[in-house]
Amino acid sequence: MTVTTLKQALAAPRAALPGSAASQDVRAAALAELGATGLPTPRREDWRYTDLKSLVDVELDFAPDRPDRAALDAAARALAEHGVPADAARLVFVDGHLAPELGTLGPTSGIEVRDLDDYWLQPETARRLRVSTAAHPLAALNTAYAQSGAWLRVAEGARIAGELRLVLVASGAPRRVAQPKIVVEIDRGAEITIVQHVVDAADTDGWLNVVTEVALAEDSRLSLYRLQEHRFRHAHTSLLAVELAARATASLGLFDLGGRLVRNDIDVKLREPGAALELYGLLLAGEGQHVDDHTRIDHIAPDTRSNEAFRGVIGRRGRGVFNGKVVVHRGAHGIDARQTSDNLLLSDQGEIDTKPELEIYSDDVKCSHGSTVGELDAEHLFYIRSRGVDEAHAREILTTAFATTVLERIAAPHVRASVADKVGARLRTLAEVSR
Amino acid sequence: MLKIENLHARIGSREILAGIDLEIPSGEVHAIMGPNGSGKSTLAQVLAGREDYEVTAGRIFLDGEDLLAMAPEQRARAGLFLGFQYPIEIPGVNNAYLLKAALNAQRQARNEQSIDAFEFMKLIKNKMELMQIPKDFLNRSVNQGFSGGEKKRNEVLQMLLLEPRLAVLDETDSGLDVDALKVVAAGVNSLRSPKRSMLLVTHYERLLELIVPDRVHVLAAGRIRRSGGPELARELDARGYDWVQAEAARP
Repeated sequence: MTVTTLKQALAAPRAALPGSAASQDVRAAALAELGATGLPTPRREDWRYTDLKSLVDVELDFAPDRPDRAALDAAARALAEHGVPADAARLVFVDGHLAPELGTLGPTSGIEVRDLDDYWLQPETARRLRVSTAAHPLAALNTAYAQSGAWLRVAEGARIAGELRLVLVASGAPRRVAQPKIVVEIDRGAEITIVQHVVDAADTDGWLNVVTEVALAEDSRLSLYRLQEHRFRHAHTSLLAVELAARATASLGLFDLGGRLVRNDIDVKLREPGAALELYGLLLAGEGQHVDDHTRIDHIAPDTRSNEAFRGVIGRRGRGVFNGKVVVHRGAHGIDARQTSDNLLLSDQGEIDTKPELEIYSDDVKCSHGSTVGELDAEHLFYIRSRGVDEAHAREILTTAFATTVLERIAAPHVRASVADKVGARLRTLAEVSR
Repeated sequence: MLKIENLHARIGSREILAGIDLEIPSGEVHAIMGPNGSGKSTLAQVLAGREDYEVTAGRIFLDGEDLLAMAPEQRARAGLFLGFQYPIEIPGVNNAYLLKAALNAQRQARNEQSIDAFEFMKLIKNKMELMQIPKDFLNRSVNQGFSGGEKKRNEVLQMLLLEPRLAVLDETDSGLDVDALKVVAAGVNSLRSPKRSMLLVTHYERLLELIVPDRVHVLAAGRIRRSGGPELARELDARGYDWVQAEAARP
């Protein structure tokens, strides 16, 4: 283990970068770009509410070792505790390293798994998706230091049964910065459901900086659920970048339950006509938690649709941020874009900043947005209490109900049931401590 | 069973109840009638413990216990039930869940065992049939998408399940057509018993032909102006409320 500060990591010589010789050019280039852009600070408009300073000056391990036996065992226990099915098609990343001991995809899975190096070694033009370093500096940090990753391809017309689980586990060793990168390419007419599950084996002060890129070809379909269950000392930054070709549809459900400092960037591009996006999420933040969801949807092509709905539940001394940007590009007519952000403050010692941002450079668009921030409804509370239910339980019932409308969007019934259980348990605690 | 003494209540600086005295013995059904704005609904809400109203004087006893010292849920557990005039919609809260939570909260308060899903279904089935409530109702959100009549039938269903000692029904008849009124009345009448009392708050006499009260009280300007038997309701129906209001206006 070698520890450095983030600033030292940015100035590291080429030789200090991890990974194969083949990936060094890509990594060094990313680091150089990041050096030029600089780390995001609250001086940037899109980072106004979220400050990374608690990660900048501390010593961290940017190149954690491959997990040893003890770390793998700890990870396996964490998976079992968090209800990740052992028999599921799953890939497990421990401290950022792909751990085949905990899951592999066989030839019958219909999913081809390749090393990330192969992805980097393609000519740049062959990569369907290129993340802008200027927009996402932490994605460049991920490229430079990614321990390993996976390049997944779903073949044309393939219908993948069940769900693919992508599990990101912190083994519990302190100060580790895990930076896996996952690229998913879904070919024409293919369909897949992915559950990205984030868990910690121990309550340590690590940092997960994950990048997930998904490219959907014509007529393909994706359902992706992300369940973030960090413990409360872990930092979490993520980029989920999705691009959709003609008539492709993506449904993305994001559930943030834990973490100390959480920043999620969700960046979706509707590139060709007929592409459709459903994006929804729950943001839960209690004492000591800062959770920031920044979403951006680009309607690049005409006749594309997006429907976005986020809900936040903020407990005592919790802090939430939601920023929803929708950009309708020039010439993109026939657009239907809806966005809502509804937030429940359980305590006057909680805070949420919610901001819709619409940029429209085209005519013939239907765009709507609405955001609300409120407390539990006094009439609802009285009605329930008048039936004999005590105040604490009534608050819990109403808090859970607020989140239920988001959970109901989850199409896969057993995923919905499992997410609902975990969300319910977290909300009970939030409602209880925020009275 | 219920004893109200010199009850005064206000909302903001406006006094709405100006000295109510009322006693309902066990097993009796009393009706409170009166013009709009007379304080009928305020009385019902104050009994249930709504915090928007400030009680400035007076006392209320339920079975000898000081009702005003109790939180709304404690009043319910002591046997009080309020049927709301405007039952609210609660999106995301499932009817079955709320009913079970309410029943079990009250059972626990009486040191009784909680009931499970199977027993609950057995208990609720006949009551739903009596109130003509469709089966899918249990899995729907509380009152969401219900018609006015369905909301009122749901209030009575809750009452049938919770079997209160004292039921206060606030204009449970308003907005109902004749058929729905009969269903509601059948539900209420099925619960009449020597151990239970009821207070019906209503504007119209037609409910009292189906649920015949033991006593009728006329409320105007925050005070009971007249009390009598069921014939008083018919008199009000024939004469209107103007004469009561005129009496109340006299110093």
